[in-house]
Amino acid sequence: MTRYIIRRLLQAIPLLLLISIVLFALMQNMGDPLATMGGRKVTRSEDRIRLARQLGLDKPAYVQYIYWLIGNDWAKTDMDGDGVAETPGVRKGVLRGDWGVSLVTRKPVTEVIGERLPNTLLLMLAAEAVIIIVALLIGIYSALNQYSAADNILTGVTFFFYSMPVFFFALGAMYIFSVNFKKMGLPYLPTVGMFEPEVGQTPAQVAWHMILPVATLSFGFIAGYSRYIRSTMLEAMGQDYVRTAKSKGLPRPQVVYVHALKNAALPIVTIVALDLPFLLGGAIVTERIFGWPGTGRLFLDHVSRSDTPVVMGILMMIAAAVIIFQIIADVAYAWLDPRIRYK
Amino acid sequence: MSKRNTIFIWLSVLVVASMLLAACGGAATQPPAEPPAEQPPAEQPTEAPAVEQPTEAPPVEEPTAAPPPEEPAERKVVTLIWTQEFDTLDPLYTQMWFVSAIYPIYACQAWEFDDQNNTVPKLVAEMPSETNGGISEDSRTITFMLRDDIVWSDGTPITSADFKFTYDMLMADGNAVASRSPYDLITSLETPDDQTVVITFEEPYAPWQSSLFAGAGGISIVPAHVLQPVFDAEGTIDTAEWNRAPTVGCGPFVFEEWESGSFARFVANENYWLGRPAIDEMFFQFVPDDASMIAALVAGDGDVGTFFAYSDVPQLEEAGVTILNSFSGFNEGWYINMHPEKGNPALKDVNVRKALALAFNREKLVQDLLLGLTGVAATDWDNSPWVDPSIEPYPYDPEGAIALLEQSGWVDTNGDGTVDKDGVELVLSYGTTNREVRQDTQAVAQQDLAAVGIGTDLQSFDADLFFSSYADDGPSANFSLDIIEYSDSPNFPDPDASVWRCGEVPSDENPAGVNTTGLCDEKLEELFAKQESQVDFAERQQTFYEITRYIFDNAYWIGLWEDPDLFGFSDRMLNVKISGATPLYNVFEWDVSQ
Repeated sequence: MTRYIIRRLLQAIPLLLLISIVLFALMQNMGDPLATMGGRKVTRSEDRIRLARQLGLDKPAYVQYIYWLIGNDWAKTDMDGDGVAETPGVRKGVLRGDWGVSLVTRKPVTEVIGERLPNTLLLMLAAEAVIIIVALLIGIYSALNQYSAADNILTGVTFFFYSMPVFFFALGAMYIFSVNFKKMGLPYLPTVGMFEPEVGQTPAQVAWHMILPVATLSFGFIAGYSRYIRSTMLEAMGQDYVRTAKSKGLPRPQVVYVHALKNAALPIVTIVALDLPFLLGGAIVTERIFGWPGTGRLFLDHVSRSDTPVVMGILMMIAAAVIIFQIIADVAYAWLDPRIRYK
Repeated sequence: MSKRNTIFIWLSVLVVASMLLAACGGAATQPPAEPPAEQPPAEQPTEAPAVEQPTEAPPVEEPTAAPPPEEPAERKVVTLIWTQEFDTLDPLYTQMWFVSAIYPIYACQAWEFDDQNNTVPKLVAEMPSETNGGISEDSRTITFMLRDDIVWSDGTPITSADFKFTYDMLMADGNAVASRSPYDLITSLETPDDQTVVITFEEPYAPWQSSLFAGAGGISIVPAHVLQPVFDAEGTIDTAEWNRAPTVGCGPFVFEEWESGSFARFVANENYWLGRPAIDEMFFQFVPDDASMIAALVAGDGDVGTFFAYSDVPQLEEAGVTILNSFSGFNEGWYINMHPEKGNPALKDVNVRKALALAFNREKLVQDLLLGLTGVAATDWDNSPWVDPSIEPYPYDPEGAIALLEQSGWVDTNGDGTVDKDGVELVLSYGTTNREVRQDTQAVAQQDLAAVGIGTDLQSFDADLFFSSYADDGPSANFSLDIIEYSDSPNFPDPDASVWRCGEVPSDENPAGVNTTGLCDEKLEELFAKQESQVDFAERQQTFYEITRYIFDNAYWIGLWEDPDLFGFSDRMLNVKISGATPLYNVFEWDVSQ
């Protein structure tokens, strides 16, 4: 198993390199970071030329990629525009742990992403927990009461929400539970942000402000997960070992939750493991609507400013996470099912 | 312990850990347990200054002993819903309106502009003029006489050395500052004493009021005593901590905290030389989604919002939000591609250009799409004193448009609904950014122009792509479009506009040029060059009358609507005024009803 993991990790290196080349090439066509620099007017031509030179954006794309990858501390830059490269570079490159500096904020990329990651993990893990718990409850109940009225209603309701666009649900929930509830004098939820400025950033405030974003993130996934659980549970409930357990006179909860669910969980673990890396990327629409300071919004904000270092940092983080979690899923498979062995 | 239990326990631990991480800044954002004693609010003017050019600095607020409060007063916190997060708070490194708009909160300029766009001295004792010796006879030298009571928030006096340091930082090759305009035109900046700054230009520089350490297109000074050691140590201030956390400032509020993507806080500056502001804290909540901003304002979760669509105004007004318009020089319009080689030959005919203006019912557009909340623009400089007052927008006259087209030989010979000439159909490519109101305008224009036989090929782009340079093949710079739509207002309230200059036409030799029309009209160039050095207001105004009339008569630019900045204020806000150039200029006078 150890040799298998090491082999998979070694295989990931050229894969990540290839991904980085493709992403970097795509970023070169995302717009000009100096066009307006987030302002309302076009950047003056003299400033555009100077900034391109100072920030290294006047170099060919392949040179910019090499600098991003291995740094530029071995090269010199022309900072004063006299045509002579006289200033040594300071970047070390991602291979030496330097992910560069944001073109927008001039902060190190690791710091920019690191500030947002806890917020995203908080939101996404809470949502993932809600999704798994509610989907398990619905899925198991539906499997045990197949084709009953409750099963049909639950199926209908979950698919109703599943087919609803995220932004529509988010804004609808915001107007109902925040704006209209307040108008009607009912207890209401906050619209945006993580806390009330008058109260401060306390855990209670953060939890209170998470309700709507977590609900928005969860509703769509619950439908998918619950249907999957229902299907695998139905399959497991029809197996011989479940019939044997029943015939032995085991209590129903033990049959369902120990014998059937344990075996039905294997494919669910795969889905969850493959979804987990994308938690790092945040949820662009939900974070944007609720003003949640996560990596999804960070990505969107910096893509719109063509901030290559930050966008590359986020995308490479997700790419690496996908690869790692796939390995973890494979390992978990072997752990859960003794019949599976890797060589 | 079962595997399932283990999973649940780990999941719970992760959620709790993340929650603690996210909330770990809580201590810093807790309001003080004992609110500071409430100070009497600063003097609250209710009328706009009667004089056109106030030259006297506001009087210093005499410190007054605060009466002991009977019970702890509630802190006065104003929440501003900001749809774009700051990129940096260092004025030398940003071009974002969402940052420069708040300079009056935490930074300080030599002067600001009031709601009538008159200058209001802040750091200078009075506005430089020929009368007081502030402007030299040859108009090349401008002298600032600084107030003697101005201090940074840490108590350090603000002196001419801060101006010199700011200038040096702008010009230092190690600093990748956003813009060096107009400081790269300065031949010397001298500081004969602590209160005097003498700035000499190579040539007389007419737009100095709107860009020299002041104005929407200008900058604020930065503290030499904080940043000089950083520059000495690192050879640059690009990555200085102060850029993100300017804890030493010179505005009525001082930076306190900025959590990326979430919020920023500025608290009252106890050392502000015009008196402590009435508000205790300005809290910026970053909400990138327009619909969410509206919901927050309607729900009362925010006190101030801006940059919302005209269509949101009725809902906001119904919720008790007061809307204030401020004209900041932006006028939406069509820039016609007049490039000598790459421009559409049909558009070289003034009759065709005028036909475009006559065919498009812009009054109806303003009424229907913009709810009649603004007017049709006639020139690129509407709502400023620089426009020939006799100019009126072209009327809606489709018959007149057809007549002009016929006069130039454009008729529909093949009955396909589009006019043609010499076998060429009159179909124009019309591009803009993907801003919703612009795309809606494209759709309306397409219908109106089709009614007179002009076909259109509509295109829209993300702003960064649209405004990419000629070198990057940007659609607004490579002359691939016949009509491009946007609005521009550099250096407002100054009228100077480089987009009309011959030297700014993008080309292989000048790939960063910003003249998006490609027009190089000899007479226009002569007039623009002339006004550039006319420091005398009346003389310059006459030149601009000629410029605006000439552009209008030749239909080089076709106005769509006057594009004011919309601000919304909750009903508890008091004493609020908005300026076009420095929007929050009287923020130190703001108050809230409790």
